[in-house]
This record gives sequence, C-alpha cells and structure tokens, in this order.
Amino acid sequence: MKHLTACLFAAIAFTAAQAFASTVGQPAPDFSATDLSGKPVKLSDYRGKYVVLEWTNPECPYVRRHYDSGNMQSLQKEAVGKGVVWLAVNSSSQASGEYYTPEQMARWLREKGASPTATLLDESGKVGRAYSARTTPQMYIVDPQGKLVYAGAIDDKRSASVAETKNANNHVRAALNEALAGKAITTSVTSPYGCSVKYGPAG
Amino acid sequence: MSRVLAALALSLAFALPAWAGAVRTPHVEAELLPERTAIVPGEPLTVALRLSIIPDWHTYWLNPGDSGEPTALAWRLPAGFRAGKIQWPVPERLPAGPLMNFGYSGEVLHLVRIDAPADLAPGTSVTLSARATWLVCKVDCIPEEAELAVTLPVATTAGPHPRGAGPIEATRARLPAPAQALSEWSLSATSAPEKVLLHLASATGSALPHARFFPFQEGKIEAAAPQRVSANERGYSLELPRAAQPVGPFDRVAGVLVLTPDGDLRPRAFEIDVPVAAAAAHASGAGFGFVAALLAALAGGLILNLMPCVLPVLAIKVLGFAGADARQGRRHGLLYGAGVLASFWALAVLLFALRAAGAELGWGFQLQSPTVVALLALLFFGLALNLSGVFEFGGLVPGGLAAWSARNPALDWFLTGVLAVVIAAPCTAPFMGAALGFAVAADPVQAFGVFTALGVGMALPYVALAWFPAWLRYVPKPGPWMVRLKQALAFPLYATVVWLAWVLGRQAGLEGVVWLLSACVVLAIAAWLAGLPGSRGPAARGAIGLALVGALALALVPREEAAQPVSSDAIWRPYSAQTVAGLNAAGKPVFVDFTAAWCVTCQVNKKLVLSREEVLADFRARGVELVRADWTRRDADIAQALASVGRSGVPTYVLYRPGRAPVVLPEILTRERLVEALDG
Repeated sequence: MKHLTACLFAAIAFTAAQAFASTVGQPAPDFSATDLSGKPVKLSDYRGKYVVLEWTNPECPYVRRHYDSGNMQSLQKEAVGKGVVWLAVNSSSQASGEYYTPEQMARWLREKGASPTATLLDESGKVGRAYSARTTPQMYIVDPQGKLVYAGAIDDKRSASVAETKNANNHVRAALNEALAGKAITTSVTSPYGCSVKYGPAG
Repeated sequence: MSRVLAALALSLAFALPAWAGAVRTPHVEAELLPERTAIVPGEPLTVALRLSIIPDWHTYWLNPGDSGEPTALAWRLPAGFRAGKIQWPVPERLPAGPLMNFGYSGEVLHLVRIDAPADLAPGTSVTLSARATWLVCKVDCIPEEAELAVTLPVATTAGPHPRGAGPIEATRARLPAPAQALSEWSLSATSAPEKVLLHLASATGSALPHARFFPFQEGKIEAAAPQRVSANERGYSLELPRAAQPVGPFDRVAGVLVLTPDGDLRPRAFEIDVPVAAAAAHASGAGFGFVAALLAALAGGLILNLMPCVLPVLAIKVLGFAGADARQGRRHGLLYGAGVLASFWALAVLLFALRAAGAELGWGFQLQSPTVVALLALLFFGLALNLSGVFEFGGLVPGGLAAWSARNPALDWFLTGVLAVVIAAPCTAPFMGAALGFAVAADPVQAFGVFTALGVGMALPYVALAWFPAWLRYVPKPGPWMVRLKQALAFPLYATVVWLAWVLGRQAGLEGVVWLLSACVVLAIAAWLAGLPGSRGPAARGAIGLALVGALALALVPREEAAQPVSSDAIWRPYSAQTVAGLNAAGKPVFVDFTAAWCVTCQVNKKLVLSREEVLADFRARGVELVRADWTRRDADIAQALASVGRSGVPTYVLYRPGRAPVVLPEILTRERLVEALDG
C-alpha cells in the first residue's frame, strides 16, 4: 500500500512535470537560478523582452563547434544589441564529470569572448528538465509575453564540424529577426542535436 | 627469425585480396569490408563499414534518440559506380541519465550496396573510398572520422571475401525485414492525446509479450518513456508516448518494430510505416481521450446531484445555506466540496489498491456485498426517521460528541460531503460509466484526474451557491415550509430503503430481507426513545445504545446465498463467455445486457426499452440472440467482459457479431439507437 502510494505520487509528479513541460505556443515555464556571481535570476524578471535560452556545456564538441567558429558569440552580440536578453544555461551535474564551477565557466566565457546577458548554473537540472532540454546546444526563444516561440536546434547542420557552420541556416537568427520585425516565426520547432545534457540522478 | 615472420606476413597480405586496412582512432577501429573478393562488371557488391568500438562507448543509429549524431559515409567512387544508403542493423537502447539514445556498442557493420558499371575491364582494379564520420560517446562525446578505402580486382566471377563475407551475412540477419514479412500480424495505429497506439492483430492468435518501436524520425516519441503492451479485444496495443517537444505531426508510425513473440526467443525486426488514424469512434475505453474523459466525468459528477438517492440529503444542506450568513456559507460550501473530493480520492486510492491486488471490480462494487447493502439500508432508514421528525440528532449523539460536533460544524459539513459520495456511488449516471471504464483501464494518474473531475462536478453547484450568495436569491426564503419539506423529503429515503431491501433480497434471499426489516424496527425503537422528552438521562441513553447495537447486529446477519440461477427467462439466456462465443461461432449476433439489481438506470432501460414487445420483435426479426449478464453479485467473468469493452459499470449494452468488433451502445437506451446499431 505504501509502495502503491509512492508510485501514485511519482506518477502524479511525472504528469505534472509533463503538463508544465515547455511547448511552443504555450507559456514558457518560469524558473529561478543563480548566475555566475551567485545572484538569483528569474525568467519572469525579463517580461517585456525577448529572451533566448541557450543550453551549453563547454565540454561538448557541438558546443565547441559554435564557439570555436565564433558563431555563438556573434549571434549573442547581435541579439543583445537588439535588446534581446540572452541566458546561457549549463545543466551539467557535478556527478557527470563535465561540471564547471562558476569560476571555470566565467573563465571559459572570457576566453571565448562570449557575451550572454547572464550564465546560469543549473547543476540540479531543474531548469533543464522543466524545458525538456535534451542536448547541448539546444535553443529556446521566449517572447515578451512569456510565451515560448522557438524550441530546437541552433541551425540545420547537425554536425560537430566547424567547417559546416558557414553553410548553415541559423534557425535562431531567423526566428529572432522575424519576431523582432513583428512577423510570425516560420520555423518554430526543430529537432535539437548535439551531446546529451549531462543530468544528474532525478530528484 | 624476425625476417621469416616479416616474409610470412607479407605473403599472407598478398594472399588476401587487396585490402587497405583498418584505421584506428582513440575509440574506434574502422575499415571497409567487401562481401566478395572481386568486382563483377554490372553487378552489385555489398561493402560494410565495420566499427569496432572500445568497451562502454557507443555510436549512433539513423535516429540517435535524444542526442547524438548518426554515423555517416561520404563516398568517392570511380565513374559509373553508385553507392546506396546505409542499411542499419536494429539499434540498442542506450540510457543517458533521464535521456535515451539509440545506437551500437561493441562491433557494428553498416552495409552499403555498391552498383558497379557494366563496362569495367576485367583484370584492372578499382578503389572504393569513403570518409566515415561518427560520434562516439560514453558520457562525453567525441566526433571522429577516418578516410577509408578498399581496392578490389575486376573479374568475371567473385568468391566470398574471407574477412568480409561472414560478418556481412551475420549483419544481414540483424537488419529489419520489410513490412511484408509481418504476414502474421496486421498493423494499424490510432491517435490519443498523450500517445499514439500501434495496434497489432495476429491472424493466428499468437501471444505477444514484448514489442519495441524505434522511430526513424526524432521529435515523434519520447525516446526514454516506457512503451507498454496491453492486450485488448483487437489483439495488442503498443503505447508510443508522444514527444514532450514534438517536431512536425505524428501522422505515421514509421520506423523499426521489434517483436518478441511467445515461444520464440529470437526477436524479429520489421521496417514499418503505418498511417495514424483518428481515435476509434465507438465508446471503448482505449479510444476514449483523456480530455473527453475529464469532461464526461465533470458532467457525470454534476448529474450525480440529481440522483434520487442524493438529492434529499443535499436539499437539506441547501436549506442550511438559506439559514447561514454569507461568510459562513462560503466556508461550509468549501468544506462540503473538500468532503466530496476527499471521498473521491479515497475511492480512487481504494480502486487502485484493489486493482493492484488483481481484483476484478467495477463501479457499484460495494453494493455487491450484502453487508454493505444492509448497513446502507439501515443508515437511510435512520436518516429518513430523522427527516420525519421522530428524533433530532442532538438527542441521539452522545453528549461529548454532540458538543464537539457543535463546536466543529466544519466537521459536520465535511462529513456531509463524504456521505453524499457514498450515497451517489450506486447510481451510475449517464457518461459516468465510460469515464470510469477509462479510469479503470487508464494509468493511475489519468484515473486520478477522472476521479477528481467527478468530485469537482458533484461539489460544484453547492460550492458555487455558497461562494456567490447572490445566487441564494433563487433559493426560497426560510419559513415553516422548511419543516414540512424536510418531512416530505423523508419519503424518497424510505423508497431508497425499499430499493436496497430488494437488492438485498436478490443477494441474501427473503430471510436476509427479514433480518434487515427487523433491524429497521429495532432502529425505529432507538429513534423513538431518542425523541422522547428526557432522553438525555443515563438510563435512556443506555437503552438507545443497546437498541442501536441490536439494530446493527441484526443488519450484519444477512449473508450471500448459495448461487442460484438469476433472471433467466424464456428469452434471455444467462451470461457466460462461452455462450456468446458459441452463438457467434454459429453465425448468430448476440446482444448482451450487462445489468444489476442495484442499478436504477438498468431497471429503467429494462422497463422502457428491453421488455417492450416491439423491441423484442426487432431482435427476433434480425435473428439476434439475447443474453443477460447479471452483475448484482460479484462475478469475475462479467467484470472481465466489461473490461474488454473498456467499461467497469452497468448498464452496459454490447452487440457481439461474428467476425466484427463488439459495439458498445449508449447507456441511455432508446429503440431507435438500438435498431440503428443492429442494422449498422
């Protein structure tokens, strides 16, 4: 009976998680996480602005492809320059062996010349799971009303090869340009590619 | 010595057909292996990319799952040659934390068919080269690549390649077979809110303990979610949970289906592409969407309020609203709602517990126990005496508890909510049967949702009345009429007692009814004593307590009688699965009336439709055999038959026709609908 109750609650929790999982066209799940200086950052604090969420992991070759080619940095600059908020999220757990401390993360971003509005450490995977983030890099765009308007890959070249970047069709840039011009987003859902998000055990 | 070895190695190398050799990366050894020793002009040749992966690492399938990248080959072939697509062996499931990947570990061969042009000159040689790229992962992922080539002579005949032929043949056995090879199973797919169901019907009735589907495309199914197989009247259904972040419509079940049929340990894989049809039209539990079930449950809950056995009790509570001030009314309304919800949740937990224990049961199952029926009858009789004004509850409840209850009117309201649910349970209102069938067949979470919706629906009118006191305007002003109304409301309760006594009679016989009526008499004595002036003295209280215990003891006497043939008359045969199957086998359609003595709707349908001479004539004219499944008492066969059509309660009307899926008719039966179904 105790076991049954436990199962029941687990099942309810699972459904609740599913129900609140991110779906394009639906409100984006709100979250609070700490940035590299330990300051709390809440998604809802940025109501009124477009917010880009970038799932990242410096240890992932697919992430490195976009940073080594300068692709991610230029997109960050371009977006932030247009008043878009850019939140990079690292959901690698300490147990995964790919965990970066705030200092390590800050150093890596400095070395790469990256300029997100804030970088969030989601060691518990809470934010990642709320968004069903599966890969790095995986990208989301939240509109000024807090609605999720894009979810998926950064571009259409599903590869870790830097050479592919220049021929790629960047979905995030296209979606942001359309959104900022007040147009409907043509491609709002794509299959993310890359390394798996290094989640720790559920809990 | 070393020179001898070198010479030996050299001669061996020459003895083999020219072979460019393997490339080693830190995690993988890769090479191209041909199946034959030479290229024959105009004939196809299979060449394999062999990846030998170090332990604990893996590469990816065509659809890598939640992350990863499929292995790829970019061929550089001489003029006139053409390379086909990679033929992928069935992948393994590779869990990565909460995520799931599809790929390969150990050694894997990716086969490619190479078509050679017809104008090659025998005696020359040809080099087939390709750049292979793959992602190899353990926790971290490393993209790797290798330039590979294989040089083969052109000849008019070719033998099996000593290193390639064996492994390539072994890999072919691991490739999914074309869908046509699925001769024994016919496939179809239907859509549900949270999942797509792949239905497998076996021509030979084979059992299917395990099945697994790997989709060709990402963004269709939730890769890590379990895929459950359930048996139903159509054969088997494999549940494919939809992706949390779907990419494009899930309108085809296209991918690799791996079946592990019973008695055959080797799984077999098939490449399938099945269009997803809209949900099945008939009201079977499997096709009943979650949202529809919730709405039906909500409506069912609302209708429960109108049930003759609930209304009198609740009407008294509405009078309570009329008396109380607005703020208090709100509190009472919420407490009543909480009582209703808590009861439905308790029922849900009980249902899961019993289901988990393997008990076959359905709605109204409480009324299959004579003890429960007798105690309910006694309770209603007591309540009716109270309504008639024989006694007041304050006089009956022991002083301490009465004082506590007075200090805690909250408890009283909460308990009213609980009581309302207990009384409503036997009245299977329209809609509710299907919703509950869904709940019994669904997973616990969805069932929980349905029970919650039922509770909300039932509590809604009263909570709303309490919350918007303005609406109380529509409730008549308090006055002396209330007392008369209260007394009048006793009569439906007396009628309920008569009905319960009849139900008990069906279960425990005439003797059982006599015991119950005796209990009622003793209870009436207790009530009369409680209503006398001076009933608060210790002697009176003792007498009342004694009478109460006596009434309870008498009500507990009735026991289930030995089985006796039930409700069989000349026209209706008693139910058994064999009867239905036998009649169907003889080519006759069968109409089954799933009914129970305690089911009011069933009795109404029986009177107004099923006993009518015109309706019986309709049946006769179409050669339909009539079977009655009486569920007044617990019966595992009937519970199973109900479950097989996605229901858990009565009334349920099912038309079984030879070679066709059973048709479930609406609970509110009309002659028109019946005829329509018979001719459908």
